[in-house]
Amino acid sequence: MPFLRALRPLFEVAIALLWGLLLGAALMALWGYDPLVAYRALLLGAFGDPYAMAHTLSRASPLILTGLTFAIGLRGGLFNIGAQGQLTLGALVALAASLWELPPGWHLAVAVILAMLAGALFSIPSAVLKLTCGVHEVVSTIMLNWIAFWLVSYLVITHLKDPLRGHSSIPAAPGARFPLVMAGSDLTYALLASVAFAVVIYWVLWHQPAGYELRAAGLNPEASSYAGIRPGRSMTLAFVLGGLSAGLAGAAEVLGRFPYALTNTLSNLGTLGFDGIAVALVGRNHPLGVVASALFFGALFAGATQMGFQAGVPIDMIQIVQGIIILAVAVPELLSLSGRIPLRQRRR
Amino acid sequence: MPEEKQPLIETRQLTKVYPDGTVALEKVDFRVQSGEIHGLLGENGAGKTTLTKILSGLLHPTSGEIHWRGKLVRFATPREALSVGIGMVHQHFALVEPFTALENVALGQEGGGLLAPAHLSKIARKLEEIMEQTGLRAPMNVPVELLPVGVQQRIEILKMLYRDVKLLILDEPTAVLTPQEAEELFETLRGLKRAGTTVIFITHKLKEVMAITDRITVLRQGRLVAQVETRATSPEELSTLMVGRKIEARFQRRREEAGEVVLAVRALAVPGDLGGQAVREVSFEVRAGEIFAIAGVQGNGQTELVEALTGLRPWLSGDVWVSGVSLRGLKPDQVFRCGVAHIPEDRRRRGLIGPFTVAENSILGLQRSAGLRGLCGALSWQRIYAHARELIERFAIQAPSVRAPAQSLSGGNQQKLVVGRELAKRPKVLIAAQPTRGLDVAATQDLRDLLLRLREEGVAILLVSADLDEVFQLADRVGVMYEGRFTGIAPIASLSRELIGLLMGGIPLEEAWALCQRERT
Repeated sequence: MPFLRALRPLFEVAIALLWGLLLGAALMALWGYDPLVAYRALLLGAFGDPYAMAHTLSRASPLILTGLTFAIGLRGGLFNIGAQGQLTLGALVALAASLWELPPGWHLAVAVILAMLAGALFSIPSAVLKLTCGVHEVVSTIMLNWIAFWLVSYLVITHLKDPLRGHSSIPAAPGARFPLVMAGSDLTYALLASVAFAVVIYWVLWHQPAGYELRAAGLNPEASSYAGIRPGRSMTLAFVLGGLSAGLAGAAEVLGRFPYALTNTLSNLGTLGFDGIAVALVGRNHPLGVVASALFFGALFAGATQMGFQAGVPIDMIQIVQGIIILAVAVPELLSLSGRIPLRQRRR
Repeated sequence: MPEEKQPLIETRQLTKVYPDGTVALEKVDFRVQSGEIHGLLGENGAGKTTLTKILSGLLHPTSGEIHWRGKLVRFATPREALSVGIGMVHQHFALVEPFTALENVALGQEGGGLLAPAHLSKIARKLEEIMEQTGLRAPMNVPVELLPVGVQQRIEILKMLYRDVKLLILDEPTAVLTPQEAEELFETLRGLKRAGTTVIFITHKLKEVMAITDRITVLRQGRLVAQVETRATSPEELSTLMVGRKIEARFQRRREEAGEVVLAVRALAVPGDLGGQAVREVSFEVRAGEIFAIAGVQGNGQTELVEALTGLRPWLSGDVWVSGVSLRGLKPDQVFRCGVAHIPEDRRRRGLIGPFTVAENSILGLQRSAGLRGLCGALSWQRIYAHARELIERFAIQAPSVRAPAQSLSGGNQQKLVVGRELAKRPKVLIAAQPTRGLDVAATQDLRDLLLRLREEGVAILLVSADLDEVFQLADRVGVMYEGRFTGIAPIASLSRELIGLLMGGIPLEEAWALCQRERT
């Protein structure tokens, strides 16, 4: 039954989700909160009305992009956890570009494209270090994440400081912001850009020779070089595509969400880059799976706020329950992944 | 009728059904007597490997029993099987590649073998003793991944001997060996038998079971079709039992004049993995419509030579031309565009991408060719699927669908996929490295027929083979490699088996001739 087999991953995710919800419920009950009330609030918060749904979609859109970064990396045989840094840099460049005087129609496009290029550029050192010195990308991307964090923090509190507001940078020019889809919500056309980008990535990976080569090199570098593929090239492509994606996420955050600026501690970027890892795992590293998975995470994040308001569950407990659910959904994939991460370069 | 003594190991109604519904074994009553060399014969997919994996605790039967020395046993893990004395050497080795032979043996031993130098040297001493007794030799302190396949296998056997197994199971052990090496292995096995070790020897080579075994069990499509005394049977009978139909040797080489030189190699020197020269200034040529075979003991530079010819390994000096075009400095894709197709030695590592589908694998290396692309240069899946279906049909590949992962196919069908794909490239030169290794009788025959047909179509074929039967059936000319050089290149008609054996052993052609002449007189 090929049809049933295709549904199998969905089924597995559903079972895992159920486990996560049950465990989370048990934990809440143990601390004296009513899990039914809490989950009802979660559901309403995520899907209860058009505004809730808009919020879910809005939270999902950056996760699609950072999820793609990790998924593309893994398809190319990389454990690329550099999305956070690339996103931070992308946000900075988008913000800076928005401060230029440009015609309104072009302004957003220019800022977004520059942010994407910045993300891609910031992933290049990892590729170069891996290819020339064999530095593992986990190490280099972690380091680059910190470099990006401190560099951007520094610029935010010095050159981009907003004299009127002490806690954040100058806001992005209104003409360069993503327009709202629905008034009164925080849903912008950044969602459209994210989904479109996911489709483009799908098209590249499955319908372009370069994407075929990227996936081939990721699975079997030896067979790939036999097939005339230059694994180094494919690896660089995986880094660059991931960087473009994370850069776009940075732009979408700073140009598409209140306060349209970077806070001094970069807190409004949160851990979007790292959340992308879980999003990719749950989405089975498939671009379209990542979109679905990001929607799930978006709902979880959006609904969690209501869990606090309506069920009185404290934020820490909400995060614990979120963590349990994410872990439950990601664990099967994590297990199957453990055999595939090449932690050491093969000796030739 | 004399009462049969208690078997060493026995299965009763053993059945194995895989999760995907494949019935690999059906009610098998298999019996091995203590102290015998027992041949397990069958085609690819007959259930030999499944049966022995169950015996060695790697797989669990769906139903049925295993009795070891008359007692019902259940092995949860290979370690449990090993602890009673059952050890298996797999076709695909269970070696930690960056570890040395010594470390591989020490791995999993009690007493923290890997950490304590004193313990390690104790293991080394015992290993040295075993090597002394059995004549199986392998370098102990070189990372295993740098050693040729044949040597890796020896290490696997040593590992089992070190663990003092009573029942040694060898899965297709000769598939990677030269005739001489195989003969050495047989000698070792006879020695082990004298020492009281029981051996199960899996193969599909009739000559080998006849040569080495005491009794033979034949499996066909998961069923035990016969258990016979080797003395009381014949290759013909076994072949019929195994295949279920009588097969006759079909190989016929039509004598035809070879055409112009297509592949020319001049003074080519190639570096080895450990530095130095793996190939030392070899020169030869292959003409259109000719099969030039390279014979030789594994690890004498054949692998490196093939890699150098296909752009996978740099050269130190010399040059190679295909139809007058130099391949100097070309990458694999550029070599392919010069008309060279390559059936690699290691299909799992090099020839296929296991998790990729049959369709995706069917275009490996062709991914940039215009014929498979449609709109905006995108891959046309319609054309790719059509291409894959054509291969499946033309080469009789048994695959559930073009969307099935290649790793789900049996070894023979994986190889057919590789071969089919390479032939679909319509090459001027075909480089085939060990093309029939690990294939069953029928698949081997098909493949050899195919190579002969290509030869008639005027393809220049470079065949690297460790199988002398194959060399004699297919080759027009033979070059024998020894330590990176040719000890002799000659038309097949002028060579005998023993002559090739001498060449493989490093004796130059003239001298070998003289030796053979002297022996005859």
